[in-house]
Amino acid sequence: MNDTSITNQNGGTALKISGLTKSYGKVQALKGVDLEIKHGEIFGFLGPNGAGKTTTIRCTLDSIRPDDGKIQLLGISPQKDPIAVQACTGYLPGEMQFYENLTPERQLRFFNDMRGNSADWEYIRQLADRLDLDLSRQIKNLSKGNKQKVGVIQALMHRPKLLLLDEPTSGLDPLMQQEVLSLLRETNQEGATIFFSSHIMSEVEQIAHRVGIIRFGEIVEVADTSTLTQRALNRLTVRFKRPVELSQLSGLPGVELLSQEKNMIAKFLITGDLEAFVQILGTTPVLSLETERLSLEETFLSYYKE
Amino acid sequence: MNRIGTTFRHTYFQMKGQIIGWGLGLALLGLIIVPFYDIFGGQQDQFQQLIENYPEELLAFFGGDMTSVLTPIGYLKMYAFSMLPIIFGIFSVMAGSGLLLKDEEHGRLDLIVSHPVGRTSLFFGRFLGFTGAAISILLIGWLGFCILLGQSSLDMTWGQLAVPFVSLLVQLVIYAALAALLSMLLPKRSLAAMITGVVLVISYFVSSLVALDDRLELVAKFLPHNYYQVVLSFQELNLTWLFALLGISLGMVLLAWWLFLCRDIRISGEGSWQLPKMILKQ
Repeated sequence: MNDTSITNQNGGTALKISGLTKSYGKVQALKGVDLEIKHGEIFGFLGPNGAGKTTTIRCTLDSIRPDDGKIQLLGISPQKDPIAVQACTGYLPGEMQFYENLTPERQLRFFNDMRGNSADWEYIRQLADRLDLDLSRQIKNLSKGNKQKVGVIQALMHRPKLLLLDEPTSGLDPLMQQEVLSLLRETNQEGATIFFSSHIMSEVEQIAHRVGIIRFGEIVEVADTSTLTQRALNRLTVRFKRPVELSQLSGLPGVELLSQEKNMIAKFLITGDLEAFVQILGTTPVLSLETERLSLEETFLSYYKE
Repeated sequence: MNRIGTTFRHTYFQMKGQIIGWGLGLALLGLIIVPFYDIFGGQQDQFQQLIENYPEELLAFFGGDMTSVLTPIGYLKMYAFSMLPIIFGIFSVMAGSGLLLKDEEHGRLDLIVSHPVGRTSLFFGRFLGFTGAAISILLIGWLGFCILLGQSSLDMTWGQLAVPFVSLLVQLVIYAALAALLSMLLPKRSLAAMITGVVLVISYFVSSLVALDDRLELVAKFLPHNYYQVVLSFQELNLTWLFALLGISLGMVLLAWWLFLCRDIRISGEGSWQLPKMILKQ
């Protein structure tokens, strides 16, 4: 996260997960997950498909029952008092499914009814306007992105203290992704704690204060987003006009030569900043340069390959 | 209680299409069957000859014999009430098996249970919603039977005509309860609906064929249709049977509720346990 700070960090814990295990038959989805999310924090949860992100989120809402471990959500155990937990949380599932024949308005009224009419309809209309969502069209006629907007609104509409979001910008176009991220930032500034999973590095960088990485059902690292960004990996493909001595580049700290062809085309993996590499590269006859920034997840998992 | 009420209301209104469709269908049957009795009575001799030509097995399925079919209740039983449990049983089976599994298999239940409604309220609200819908269907149907009752020679009151609908309602409830229970035990809604449907059909056939073969009585005793009563007064109604069926339904509903409390909610595309491959291959 570049320019944001934890807005409402009062030292308390919004979500505490300890020793969480969950198996589906012979497959152990979670192998003792430990996480602690502070009040007012935006926490990005990263991991490859099947790593256990969704399972962790769904355990916190009592949709699925863990085999072992403890969860405390705003001081309440979802296994002991799920209704209290659900009343103060907003949840956005990874795959949005609604009653297709309803309009978004009727669908949201249905959810609001289930929440004891705790939402403010003025706020719902504001959210719909911001997300450019027509509340009167039948859901079956909406695109995936528009359905996602309905999901975002249902998660936010009752101004929850804690938001559990499974890939909140999935299916949205880049402009709407930015709008949703702005909404989340504002919601956080109003005091909400946000726990979200994502595959998109830029959005995690933009809004998350801290990031947790899960792999094969285990948390492999929890760190400040800025720390991870500094450790970001770049993959560079350089084409030279004529063969060059590559050792001057590959010998730099944090630079690894991945492959090369006749000293004319070379692929490098670079950790951290590119300044030293670019300086040396400037002295060589470069024809073209392609850079690819690895996702936070890839960056992170590269440390844990072995 | 408020949360059950909310779920009940939503379930009931979600079933409004079924209430109207099934209800009007039943009412229409009543509007045809009731005045037809006068034609039936006027041409009693021809009908008697016709019925005498029916094979005994066929008459058994219509729940009548040659003598009783000429009485008002025998007539109604043969032309309407004998088949209603199996026809409306389809509604029960589909509604009972889909009580929660329909939303779960569509991937909606995960989001619904994340709202502060509670699994108990959700379960009972939905089952009560189904019961309300079943009552509404039978109420519309009963009105359809009653509207032309005064103009027909069927010698019965609206109240008397309501009695077989009470027994029919209990049949609908027990099949829905069985379907709901099986939907909690089996991996798929379709499997729960199929098995309950098989029970429904077997129950109908076996209970009907008891009139022809006493040996089936032992099996029929365990089947709901055996306790379906088409009578015209509450005095004639065997309340022990009625309450026993309701008690069994309640037991199945409570077991289904307990299973729902204990289980994980699946999301779209997630399966449950599967039948062993060897069984599936066969």
